[in-house]
Amino acid sequence: MVTPLQSQVLLPERIAGLLGLSGTIGQIVGGLLGAFIIANLLLVQTAVAGPWAKRKITAAFTDRIAVNRVGPFGLVVIVADAVRLLSKELVIPEGVDRPAYDLGPLLVPFSALLGFAVIPMGNGIHLADPETGLVFAFAASSIASLGLVMMGYGSNNKYSLLGGLRAIASNIAYEIPLVVTAASVVVFTGTLQMSEIVAQQTQPLLSIAGVTIPQWFAIVNPFAFVLFVVANLAEVGRNPFDVPEAPTEIVAGFQTEYSSVYFVLIYLGEFIHIFLGGAIAATLFLGGPAGPFLPGFVWFTIKIWAFYLFTQWARSAIPRVRIDQFLDIGWKGMLVLSFANLALTAIIVGVIA
Amino acid sequence: MSSERDRPFVTDDTQVQTETRDARMTGGGADNRFNSKLREAFGSSPFILTKFDQFMNWVRGSSMFMLQFGIACCSIEMMHTYSVKHDLDRFAAGVPRASPRQADVIIVPGTIVSKFAPRMKRVYDQMPEPKFVVGMGSCTISGGPFQEGYNVIKGAEEVIPVDIHVPGCPPRPEALIYGVAKLQQRIAEGESSPVTVKPYELEQFDDLEQDEIVEKLADQIDEDDLVMRYNWADSP
Amino acid sequence: MSLEEPTPDDGAVETLPTGADEIAELLGDLVIDTETHVNAPGFVIRPDTVQETLRRLRDEAGFDHLSCVTAEEREDRYESIYHLTSFDDRQREVSVIVPTTKDDPVSESAAPVFRTADWHEREAYDLVGIDYDDHPDLRRILLPETWQGHPLSQNYDQDRPQIVTLDEWENPLAEDHREDEGDTMYINIGPHHPATHGVLHVKTVLDGEQVADVDPDIGYLHRCEEQMCQTKTYRHQIMPYPDRWDYASSGLLNEWAYARAAEDLNDIEVPEYAQIIRTMGSELCRIASHMLAVGTFALDVYGDFTAIFMYAMRDREKTQNILEDLTGQRMMFNYFRLGGVVWDLPEPRDEFFETVRDFLDDLPQALEEYHDLITGNEILQSRTIDTGVLPPEVAKSYGATGPVARGSGIDYDLRRDDPYGYYDELEWDVITEDGCDNFSRLLVRLREVEESAKIIEQCADLLEDWPEDEREIQANVPRTLKPDDDTEIYRAVEAAKGELGIYIRGDGTDKPGRFKIRSPCFSNLQTLPEMSTGEYIPDMVASLGSLDIVLGEVDR
Repeated sequence: MVTPLQSQVLLPERIAGLLGLSGTIGQIVGGLLGAFIIANLLLVQTAVAGPWAKRKITAAFTDRIAVNRVGPFGLVVIVADAVRLLSKELVIPEGVDRPAYDLGPLLVPFSALLGFAVIPMGNGIHLADPETGLVFAFAASSIASLGLVMMGYGSNNKYSLLGGLRAIASNIAYEIPLVVTAASVVVFTGTLQMSEIVAQQTQPLLSIAGVTIPQWFAIVNPFAFVLFVVANLAEVGRNPFDVPEAPTEIVAGFQTEYSSVYFVLIYLGEFIHIFLGGAIAATLFLGGPAGPFLPGFVWFTIKIWAFYLFTQWARSAIPRVRIDQFLDIGWKGMLVLSFANLALTAIIVGVIA
Repeated sequence: MSSERDRPFVTDDTQVQTETRDARMTGGGADNRFNSKLREAFGSSPFILTKFDQFMNWVRGSSMFMLQFGIACCSIEMMHTYSVKHDLDRFAAGVPRASPRQADVIIVPGTIVSKFAPRMKRVYDQMPEPKFVVGMGSCTISGGPFQEGYNVIKGAEEVIPVDIHVPGCPPRPEALIYGVAKLQQRIAEGESSPVTVKPYELEQFDDLEQDEIVEKLADQIDEDDLVMRYNWADSP
Repeated sequence: MSLEEPTPDDGAVETLPTGADEIAELLGDLVIDTETHVNAPGFVIRPDTVQETLRRLRDEAGFDHLSCVTAEEREDRYESIYHLTSFDDRQREVSVIVPTTKDDPVSESAAPVFRTADWHEREAYDLVGIDYDDHPDLRRILLPETWQGHPLSQNYDQDRPQIVTLDEWENPLAEDHREDEGDTMYINIGPHHPATHGVLHVKTVLDGEQVADVDPDIGYLHRCEEQMCQTKTYRHQIMPYPDRWDYASSGLLNEWAYARAAEDLNDIEVPEYAQIIRTMGSELCRIASHMLAVGTFALDVYGDFTAIFMYAMRDREKTQNILEDLTGQRMMFNYFRLGGVVWDLPEPRDEFFETVRDFLDDLPQALEEYHDLITGNEILQSRTIDTGVLPPEVAKSYGATGPVARGSGIDYDLRRDDPYGYYDELEWDVITEDGCDNFSRLLVRLREVEESAKIIEQCADLLEDWPEDEREIQANVPRTLKPDDDTEIYRAVEAAKGELGIYIRGDGTDKPGRFKIRSPCFSNLQTLPEMSTGEYIPDMVASLGSLDIVLGEVDR
């Protein structure tokens, strides 16, 4: 009944198979290599997104050109930016809370990378497929807010502290609607396993004039999709919900005191988080790596970049909400709507099934 | 060398260049900003390190984050330089960061007065090395039209070392872009300005010489407070 | 709140005393001597009757606008001059002169009557050295606390060493000023902060995310503008400085402030043709300045260098190009001369008019875009409506003028109320909004741009048709101007931020004896604590943005 979009063989097993290893060694080597490949795929994308694409996209929104002197289309600026930031002096301000100050920037990118372990990216690039995949992805990505709090608290700077506090507030307020909205998809699918969620979306919803529209949940339940994307914006801290960073209010929020390598890590983490947000949205609502003609991985990349583009668009066009409005929207708006959505979905699914 | 460092201004160009080169070659000296530990270990000639240094200079010259820092009239022209028509970001130098910890270049856009100089020095100190300074406008060269004012610092160089001066009141955006491009060129070629000894430094109050004014202020200022002392009479 | 009821004489406008004799009669024996300023009658009073005099003038004569406080040191005495006028009728003016002795310069404070006097008197204390009794908080305002001497007093030694402290450097939570039960946090916003529009330092006490107390600390750009002007000659040397007060491209408006005061002081008549050029140039400056205000306000609310900011910059770029064609400079124009302007419109004139017309034709579309992006945006509306509320009575008491006052519903615009230049010959409206909040102030600026465009269009029509042999750009002005000793004048114009006043006292030489600048931003900024106490941090930042201060003008 369900035609598997991708081979059910996960990446570590395939690598182990290619290397001719088996058993525990095969699992360990395959797992490590697989993780290495996936992490690098993402890091490369982040490197393109961070120093280059962000500038170019913002410039396009504001009638500018942005980097065009270094390399073709200014692409070599990625190398320059990365090396320059890494080679800068690492300033450790006086009186910082050492382990917290150092661990915070590490947690942010790693939590996001961890979340990618369960995301099916198409063409067999899928590190692990536990039965609780969706829950794992959310759990991993929320570790980041712990990192933000550590940074905010550890920096010994009041602006950082305010940023850290805002980060917790936003996380608590928007994590719940996010997960509840995702749960409405789970009600449809009846499983938390990512591969299964993707597989169910390949079923045709209806056919019009020979064009088959797949059963993507964004089409089945567009309301949930919108809710999810909005909550996701808050999760990744982008306009109109970028209150934890809020440059004109609290300088740079939790990252005010960070320089050099730590700053790179935070910067990386933010972008990987955007991609993770996009990846979860794609998996839950947009059929994961599914799509016509092109290979699955390309479609997956297109989808997460579309989400990235959306965050940048929002950043250019939408004012930031105030902290109290931000929490109001979260607690009074999103939470209610997401529960309503969940209840409705449950009723509809219950009646139909 | 130390006797020369006491001079507030070095006017001989060739000497400036010589000193810069010497400082870079010998490691110690006035400008230690580019010298890595590796260079100290291997000496100044090995091929790999030379290439590596060239690469690092290219990196630093190809991309820089600016500090979002506005003082006076020039900051308006600086904003124009960042934005639509002039677009400094074409030179990979148009990302203003609000936190000094993440900035490479501070453009000093305007008049510095006595109350602000300690704060600016502080901001400069908070930036991580290697850092560069573009002095924008006449006020950062000499105090400009306000030079005779009782409250005006006679140039940014009195407080922090300046790599590039862009003259004008205010300089046109084109001029600022030229200044930044020149700075990038200098960095890429491995030159940076010598750090001159500044007349005004932040000090702890009890480190100051005991004279009339210090005694007068003794009960107002805590001994550990950072202060800046202005000797206007010695100002250029 | 020490604010008293607003003037109770709304119904009895006709009976307000206007002539010098009537006011003298009202003040009775409070007056110990009279003087005549070029702009207004002056009444000398004793230093211990300041509050009584001002209160009587405010309540019974309708002088509800303390425009400026000038302090100066004369050969034999210190003087504080209170320039009073009325929001309803700007042409009624009176000066109250308070002399004090050299040995004991103590005078009664006017702060309980007019709240704007608070900062003005602090400035007088700081720069000149007059003490004010009964002042709520008399300390230095522009110069550092530890400064020695008062620089505008007569025997100030400019070469003496000074020591300035840096007390914002430490930032440990341990040194927090915690009260017993309250959990407030003290935080320094500025002088280097992305939202302070320059080098303003706001000492803020936070209660959670809310602002419990705000104390703007200014003086980080105090460039001794008054001293500079006092050491330069009237004819040519002062004119470059006004450009640098409000440097957000309102150069010509500032130049006009000086030109107006100096021309009235020296009885110079400006040719009509030059007046039209001045009017047109000034309105172009106003557009540029309001564009910057809108752009940076959007920057404060949106939080990044995003589309609105860039679009505002794009439109500013256009006005700057026109102004460059006209004056030869992008920002620091130095275009006005006493008695006219320095040169005629650029040749070929047709091309210049075409540029101006093109700009005016594109402007409605650009404004439409702003309204789409900013004022039509629900999030922005919810951010700005009913935040930073400044009731009209409070605004009047603080001497707020310009778009800030007009955003609070105060119908006050010097271009109409105290006409100068060519404004009274042209068709345009004064914009007011009754919201009193950040949104109203934003809206006032956007709508004023339309009005300015109207004025420019009419000026361009007039200039285009002006007969070629009557294009007189400068009156015949003597090479050296020496106003008589002891002639005093206070004149104001409507600059982009509000009422920009200049007080000049001639001392018989070719340089002013005292040159005092009444900056609109200085008075407007004083309202910040009023607007933001109890609000959230983002609202405080937005209010600051909506005040549109330029530190060069606040600190001078």
